[in-house]
Amino acid sequence: MAYAYLFKYIIIGDTGVGKSCLLLQFTDKRFQPVHDLTIGVEFGARMITIDGKQIKLQIWDTAGQEAFRSITRSYYRGAAGALLVYDITRRETFNHLTTWLEDARQHSNSNMVIMLIGNKSDLESRREVKKEEGEAFAREHGLVFMETSAKTAANVEEAFINTAKEIYEKIQEGVFDINNEANGIKIGPQHSTAGGAKAGGAGAGGAAGGGCC
Amino acid sequence: MLSRFSDVLQTAADVLAPPATKYEDFEYHWKMIVNFYQAYDETTKVHIEDTRVPHHLHQMFQLIVDEEKEQQGGTVGPCLEAVVQRSIGVLDALAVLAVTDRPPGARAMALNLATTLLRRTQQPCLNSVHVYRPLQRMLVQCNESPASPTEKEEVELLLTICGLVRKESGLANIFTTPFIEDRISLMSIPEDIQQLIPVKRKVNKPKKNPLFDVDMTPPIKMAIVRKDSFNNSAADDASVKSQKTVYDDNDKFLLIDLLLSYLNSADNQVVLRACEGIMIVSSLPEDDIANLITSCSPCCETIVDKLCTKYRAIPNDVDPNDVDQLNITWAYVAQDFGDKSYNKFHGYRELTSFFSWLDYCDTLMKECHPTIAAHLARTFRSNFLEGVESWLLPASNNSSFVHQAALTTALLAKCLRVIDSSDLINEFSNWLVGDGEVSEWPLLLALINNCLTEDYDLTLETLRFFETIIERGTEHSMDRIVVSRVISRGYYSPPGPATVDTDERDRLNDLSFGRERDRNREAMKQLEHEDAINEQISDILSHEGLDNKEQGENVENIHRVINSFLLVLPRALLSDPVGADYEHYIHDAQRHYQLWLDITASFHWPSEPNWMENTASSTHSYDSRPEADFHFSAFDTLHTDTKKLLSKELTDEDQSKAQSTDKDVKDDVKSDTSDTTDKRIPQTIEDEFDEGPFFKMIFKLLSRMPDQPYQVNLHLTSIISKLALLPHPNLHEFLLNPNLPTSKNTRTLFKTLQNIARRLTLEIPRMKNYKKIIEDTRQQLMSEDPSYDISGDHNELVESLIVLEEFCKELAAIAFVKYQHILHMHR
Repeated sequence: MAYAYLFKYIIIGDTGVGKSCLLLQFTDKRFQPVHDLTIGVEFGARMITIDGKQIKLQIWDTAGQEAFRSITRSYYRGAAGALLVYDITRRETFNHLTTWLEDARQHSNSNMVIMLIGNKSDLESRREVKKEEGEAFAREHGLVFMETSAKTAANVEEAFINTAKEIYEKIQEGVFDINNEANGIKIGPQHSTAGGAKAGGAGAGGAAGGGCC
Repeated sequence: MLSRFSDVLQTAADVLAPPATKYEDFEYHWKMIVNFYQAYDETTKVHIEDTRVPHHLHQMFQLIVDEEKEQQGGTVGPCLEAVVQRSIGVLDALAVLAVTDRPPGARAMALNLATTLLRRTQQPCLNSVHVYRPLQRMLVQCNESPASPTEKEEVELLLTICGLVRKESGLANIFTTPFIEDRISLMSIPEDIQQLIPVKRKVNKPKKNPLFDVDMTPPIKMAIVRKDSFNNSAADDASVKSQKTVYDDNDKFLLIDLLLSYLNSADNQVVLRACEGIMIVSSLPEDDIANLITSCSPCCETIVDKLCTKYRAIPNDVDPNDVDQLNITWAYVAQDFGDKSYNKFHGYRELTSFFSWLDYCDTLMKECHPTIAAHLARTFRSNFLEGVESWLLPASNNSSFVHQAALTTALLAKCLRVIDSSDLINEFSNWLVGDGEVSEWPLLLALINNCLTEDYDLTLETLRFFETIIERGTEHSMDRIVVSRVISRGYYSPPGPATVDTDERDRLNDLSFGRERDRNREAMKQLEHEDAINEQISDILSHEGLDNKEQGENVENIHRVINSFLLVLPRALLSDPVGADYEHYIHDAQRHYQLWLDITASFHWPSEPNWMENTASSTHSYDSRPEADFHFSAFDTLHTDTKKLLSKELTDEDQSKAQSTDKDVKDDVKSDTSDTTDKRIPQTIEDEFDEGPFFKMIFKLLSRMPDQPYQVNLHLTSIISKLALLPHPNLHEFLLNPNLPTSKNTRTLFKTLQNIARRLTLEIPRMKNYKKIIEDTRQQLMSEDPSYDISGDHNELVESLIVLEEFCKELAAIAFVKYQHILHMHR
C-alpha cells in the first residue's frame, strides 16, 4: 500500500510490562492474556493517517530480558521512535527506566522520539507507580508520557500515533534528515503517492517525492 | 468423530464425578492422540488442522504451563514429570510428527508447539534427556530437508533454545560432542512411537547440511574419555558445567552448526533469526562456550565467507561515488528487502546486502565474547581483506585495473568508516599499515602509488581512503604512516654558517627588490594588506586575552606563524583579501582539535619534539611533563635568526624567487621520482631528510596542485589539515612551524606552499582579465552548484589558487587554536 512516509519504531522496557501486547493491540486490535516470552525481536506494521497523509509504521517489539540486550541494541540505531514501557503495577520496572533511557540514548540517533508508556492502567487496584511519577520522569527527561492499557486498548492508538505526530513535526521542522535512512524514516514511493485520491495526500506526495531517489 | 464423542462423554463424566486432576487430563489427551494414530489412515489426506490432534497437544502443553503456576519452589509438576521420566512420550511423538509430517501440516504444528512450550514455561526442564533429545532430533531432521517450507518455524524453535541457553549457559553442553556424538541414539526413535507413527527409512539419510556431520564411529579413545564424564541416565542433569575447556577438532557444537545452516536461506527473515541466535549464543560470558564456537564450529569462517560472497556479488560497474551514500543497520534490512522498490541505483541491493552483513559482523564483534571477537577479526583479515588486496595492487596493465582499484578502494574506505568495533578497526588498520619497514609493506606502498597514478578517479578514491585511515587511526597506524619518520626529527637542522649566508643573501635581494617595490602601486596595496592582516591577528589574539606586550615572545611567535600562512599568497591574487571567514576556520579548528585530543588521549605520544632515533621514541611515552610544554617549546624553537624578517619580506622573497619557480618544481619532481631505497643510504645531517613514502606522496601531490582537479586538491588539503591537528610535537613543528630551521633540501609543508604560491604568482597574472576569472571561479566554487562540478570547463590553475588561499587560512587557524589550547591549559 502506498505511503507518504515510513517510520521505524522500537518498543523497549523490562520483561513482562506488556510490550508485545501493546503491539498486538495496535496492529491486530486484540489482547492475548497468555505471556509468550519474546526472544530477540518481533515485528509488526500498520498504516495510520496524519495530516491527511498515509504513514506506515514498522514496529519492532524487543525482548525485555537482559539476556537479549545484545539483539535489542542493534535496533536502536536506525529507529525514528521508541516506546519506553513500564508496568504501573510493578515498581521495579519503573526504577529501571533510567538504565533503559541511557542505553537508548547511547545507541540511537539523537533525534529519536521517545514516548514513555505506563502500561496496565486497567489494574488500578494493583497500582504501584502513581501517574504523577510517570509524568515527572517524562518531564525531567524530555519525553512524552501516557498511561495505556493493552488489555482495554485505552490510549494504545494514541501512544503510537502521538509518537508518529512528533516525528512528523520534526520532519516538518527539518530536524530529521529524511534522506538518511539511519534516522528510521523513509519517503514513500513517488508514483503511488502522487496518484493518491486525497487532495492533501497528492500535494504531500509531490513534496515528499522531491527528496526521493 | 470418535474423539469428539469422547470429549462429550468426558464433559458428562465431569458433571457426575469430581473434576479430574491435571495429570488425569494430561493422560487423557495423550490417550486421544495415541488413539488417533492407531486409527490413522494415511490415504485420507486430511490436514492436521482438521483433526483433533492439535487440540489435544495444545491442551497437554497448557496443562504443563498451568501446573507450573501452582508449583511451589520450582518443583516439577506431575505432567512435566511424566514428560521428563518419559512415562508419556509426547515430545518423541512431536519429533516424529515433525519428521513424517503426518497428517500434512503436522511438521509446522509440532515445531510451533515445541516453541510455545519452551516460551511459556519458566522451567521447561530442557536439561532432561527426554526433553532435549526429541527437540534435537526434530531440529536435525527438519534441517536435513533443504529449503523446507517450515524453515521459519524451525529457526524460531532454534532461537528459542538459544534464548534458554543464554539464560542458563550450562545447557549449551547438550549440543556439544559428548551429547551428540552418537548419531544412532540421537536419531533413533523410541520403539513405542515408532510403532505408533512409522517413519519411512529415507528420512534417515541426510540430504543437506554437511555442517551437521556427526561422526558415526568416533575414535574409541575419545568415546571412552567421555563416557566417564557423562552419565547417560535420564535423571542426569546435563546442565552441570562441562569440565572440558580444550576441544578436539572433531568436536561439534550442534546449536551453532544448525544456526549457520539457516544463514543460506532465501528468506531474509529466517536469516535474520539465525543471526540473532548466533549473537545470543556468542554473547555468553563463559570462556569455554566461546572456545567451543571458535574451535569446534566454523562460525567465524562461515560468517566471513558470507561477507566475501556478498562482496563478490557487487557489480563491477558500480559508481564508486554511490558507495558513500549508504547508511545501513543490519537488523532492519530483512524487512526493507521485502520492498521491491528498494533499489535506489545500480548495485544498490548488492551493496546494501554487503554492508548490512558487515554491520552484522561489526555488531557481533561488539557484543560477543572477546575470544570470538578476536577470532572473527582475524578471520575477517585473512579471509576477506587479504582476498580483496590483490585488486589494489597493480598486477598488470589491465585497463580495467584503474576502475576496479577505485571501486575496491571506495568500498574499503566505506568499510573502515562504518565499522565501530575496536577489534575490527585494529585488525583493519594493521592489515593496511603492516609491520616491519614501512617502505617494504606492499599494500601501503601500493595505495601510496595509487594516489600518484595518472587517473584522478583512483587518486581521489585513494585519498579519501587515506583520509578515513587517519580519521579511524589507531596509535599503531598513525605511528607507521605519519609519525615513523618525523619522530627522528631529521628534518631539523640547526642553523649553521651556510644558512646564515643564504639568509644574508636573501635579505640583500629583498632590500633591492623592496626599493623597487615601493614605487609600485600594487605593492603599496600589498603593504596595506599586510598591515590589515597583522591588525586582524592582533585583534583575534587580544580577543583571546593575548596581548603582545603582556605575553611577550610567545604571542609574538604565534603572531608570526599565523602571519606566515596568511601571507603565503600576495594580495593581488587573493580572491578574498578581507579574509572574512577566518573566524569560521578558528571555530572549526577548535571543534576538530578537541576531537583529536580525545582520540589520541590514550596514545603514548611524546610531549616534546623528539630528538631520539625511532627506537627510542617509546621512552618518551611515559614522560610526566604536561603535553602543553611541547607546544611552548615548539613555538619557542622558532628560528631566532628569522625573527628580524618581517612577514612582508617573506612575500618579497616569493616574488624574487618567482623566476626560478619552474625549475624548482621540476627539481622537486625529479627528486621525488628517485627510488626510496636510495635514500636509506646513510647520509650526513645536511643531506635530505627522508620524510617517508606517505609524506613524500603528500608533498608531491601538493606541489602538483595547480595541475590537479579541484576535488583532488580538496581532499589532499583536508588530509593535511587533519595531520596538522594531531597533537604530536614533531608533526606539529614539521607541518605548522614555517620558521623551523631545516636543511635546504628538506621538504616541509610551508616550503611546498611557498613553491606553489610562486608558481601561481607567476602564471596567473599572465592570463587575460585574471582578476575577473579569480572572482568568478571563487563564486562558482562557493556556490556549491553541482552542475559546475560536472561541466568540463574548469580553470584548474585558478581553482587551485582558491584552495590554497583557503587552506592557508585553515592552517593559520589550526596553529592558532593549538596555541590557544596550551594557554588555556597553563592558566
